Amino acid sequence: MTTPDERSNLQPGRPLSGYRVLDLAGPMGVYCGKLMADMGADVIKVEPPGGDPMRDIGPFIDGRPGPGRSLYWLHFNTNKRSVTLDIDSSDGAATLRKLAFDCDVLLETGPPGYMDSLGLGYESLAADSPGLVYCSITPFGQTGPYRDFKASDLVGFAMGGYMYVTGWPHTPPTRLWGSQAYHTASNRAYIAILLALYHRMATGEGQYIDVAMQEAVAATTEHVNTTYNYTGESAMRCGFRHGGQFVATWRCRDGYASITTNTRAAWDDLRAWMDRDGMAGDLMDAQYDDHFVLRGEHSAHIEGLIQAWAMLHTRQEITEFGQSSHHPWGPAATPDEILENEQLWGRGYFTEVESPTGPSLVYPGDPYRLSGFPHPVRRTAPFPGEHNGEVLSGIR
Amino acid sequence: MNPNNAHQQTGLALRGIRVLDFTWIHAGPSATRILSDQGAEVIKVESNNALSVIGGPASATARGLGQRHNWNAGKLSISLNMKNPQGIDIARRLVAVSDVVAENFSGRVMPSWGLDYESIRAINPSLIMLSMSGFGRTGPWKDRVSYGQTLQAWSGFTELTGFPDTDPSGPASAYSDAVGGMAGAQAVLLALMHRARTGRGQWLDVSQFESLTSLLETLALDMSANGANAVSSRTGNRLPYGGGAPHGAYRCQGEDRWVAITVFTDEEWRDFVEVIGSPKWAEETRFATSDARQHNADALDVLVESWTGRHTAEDVMNRLQAVGVAAGVVQTGEDLSRDPQLKEQGFFRRVPDHRGEYRTIESAPYKLSRTPGSVTRGAPEFAGDMTYVLRELLGMSDDEVEDCAINGAFD
Repeated sequence: MTTPDERSNLQPGRPLSGYRVLDLAGPMGVYCGKLMADMGADVIKVEPPGGDPMRDIGPFIDGRPGPGRSLYWLHFNTNKRSVTLDIDSSDGAATLRKLAFDCDVLLETGPPGYMDSLGLGYESLAADSPGLVYCSITPFGQTGPYRDFKASDLVGFAMGGYMYVTGWPHTPPTRLWGSQAYHTASNRAYIAILLALYHRMATGEGQYIDVAMQEAVAATTEHVNTTYNYTGESAMRCGFRHGGQFVATWRCRDGYASITTNTRAAWDDLRAWMDRDGMAGDLMDAQYDDHFVLRGEHSAHIEGLIQAWAMLHTRQEITEFGQSSHHPWGPAATPDEILENEQLWGRGYFTEVESPTGPSLVYPGDPYRLSGFPHPVRRTAPFPGEHNGEVLSGIR
Repeated sequence: MNPNNAHQQTGLALRGIRVLDFTWIHAGPSATRILSDQGAEVIKVESNNALSVIGGPASATARGLGQRHNWNAGKLSISLNMKNPQGIDIARRLVAVSDVVAENFSGRVMPSWGLDYESIRAINPSLIMLSMSGFGRTGPWKDRVSYGQTLQAWSGFTELTGFPDTDPSGPASAYSDAVGGMAGAQAVLLALMHRARTGRGQWLDVSQFESLTSLLETLALDMSANGANAVSSRTGNRLPYGGGAPHGAYRCQGEDRWVAITVFTDEEWRDFVEVIGSPKWAEETRFATSDARQHNADALDVLVESWTGRHTAEDVMNRLQAVGVAAGVVQTGEDLSRDPQLKEQGFFRRVPDHRGEYRTIESAPYKLSRTPGSVTRGAPEFAGDMTYVLRELLGMSDDEVEDCAINGAFD
């Protein structure tokens, strides 16, 4: 087999240039494959004949499903190549085994035992390819009492402990925008894969990686576990408050804005501004001097005054006032404002790319910047089996 | 370059890597803990001036103490007074013997110490510098300040999270910081691989705003393709682009107890109906197909809840899972602490702190067969590793250390 360094000499560039990945992941791992492809790896998306079911996930260009119209597919499969292969057949499984021999990473999201049942489990492939890094993402992991439980993104978000603390106390626990349980599993898997690849650079050894979505989410909830383990209380959802009343979002004249009062200086600046507007009520009294008063018995009274005052001002006014004093105040942006954001465009985060089926699309960039690399979208998402010829030739 | 030649058989992928860690609060320390778990030697540079921040050495609350241990398990701690020239000199000497420098200050702090990337590169050309900030260190907003929660608002997550008829909302915890931590760790690992192949270090300018925005999925594509017809408002627990019903959290027996249920295919629907006792309403045409169920989801949710409300969340989960329908308890912190699956994974771990008291922390949420990693102790004692770092690592003499101490370099 060829090595990443040999391959990348042909195509130098990004940190994962020359690495070859077999991507058999569904929605739970599709973002992990994208992260590798966008960082330069040659990611081969393995689709069933007829195309991957993710091609039918919306939104769609002009709201109409059809070949090449799924924006979900176009987003999550940038820079990947595609082969169609029926891995449930013995021919297809044999072809995949041969493909894996010349790959560095295999990523899959089948139920526990599924790949083994096809003769494509880690032990079996590693016998031929000891350097292979083989990553399985499942809802609950490869072992344990829930290993065969099913989970969607929502169920993963719930079982990982994030859903209970999201939303308002008077509404049901709430989903975060986007499939964040899936993406958290992907983010964690990507870390594990990079660790394994680094280890392999030194030793030549591959290894098996078992990622559970539930555990990935549970490790991403910030204080949910520490709050319970260290205080005996379960954290509660609190709308858009965070850590008590010190970071809160208020309805203002043209939407919503975040105001922090976790320092005495920020609290004093807020009180003084309210006072100048004649809206501070009794908040200038000495009994309110300590900003911890926001968490005390007067919190409802204080919140009422802040909310009434906030309606006088726009998000822009609140943002500019706070930022000019180095307080992290800012607007709750609407989606159209995100698309026009001067910082994101200013840093080259967004880029416009012609889509193969119609309009030019605005693509987001990398989640972080490595020095000296251009925008990650080198190639739009592939058509089903677009690279069958070049990938499979010489293998069958 | 061979990244960890001397330590192949230790089960730690990052043995031999040294991280000089100036980060504080959440995002930065959670990034460097990912590295520490895999054997990187992470030296926290702390200061008497920031003892009581959340996750700091003297966290004032029980929860803060928990964060201290959870984000800093396995690390070392030194105290340096970066307003003191000798303190800065020690930091520069540590830069010379480190592989990674991590910081998440506002943009003016590191340059004020003479530790901007150009200066660092002059000391140690192959060093990787991780700078984590709200908006990045370039662009018109480079000097704006933010917290995790304000970034969630700024990126659109707040506006898009919640039900159509309530105010926007979000999580009670800072998803943005957790995302920033994962992004920071990924960036360092990629840079370490790049260094191993090329010998070159680099500066990693991580904008947590960009890290978070990259998780908005298809929002930008949808808006650029479909303009006013793009989905750009809150849809509660339903998928914004369709894809199944019931799909939500349903109230169960008990105080604020909920179960998440998602049904996509007709087969799942038939199994679901059987488990809930094949009620008459389930045969109605308005629920006959997936499209029909999604169209009539409001009515369906009420009917589903009339069943879940008579059962415990655990019971609903077990009965639906038994027939292969995705369902799970909406778990609280207490539920997680007792979860049999997380127990099987060894997710919660008890490790001793510097006084020998056992503290509960989270494990890395992945299992690597050859390099499982290791975390054997809680957060360090504040300035508990001065002797190792100054004497062993930098080879400073007793006199030199005493001179620095007298001049306030460690205050």
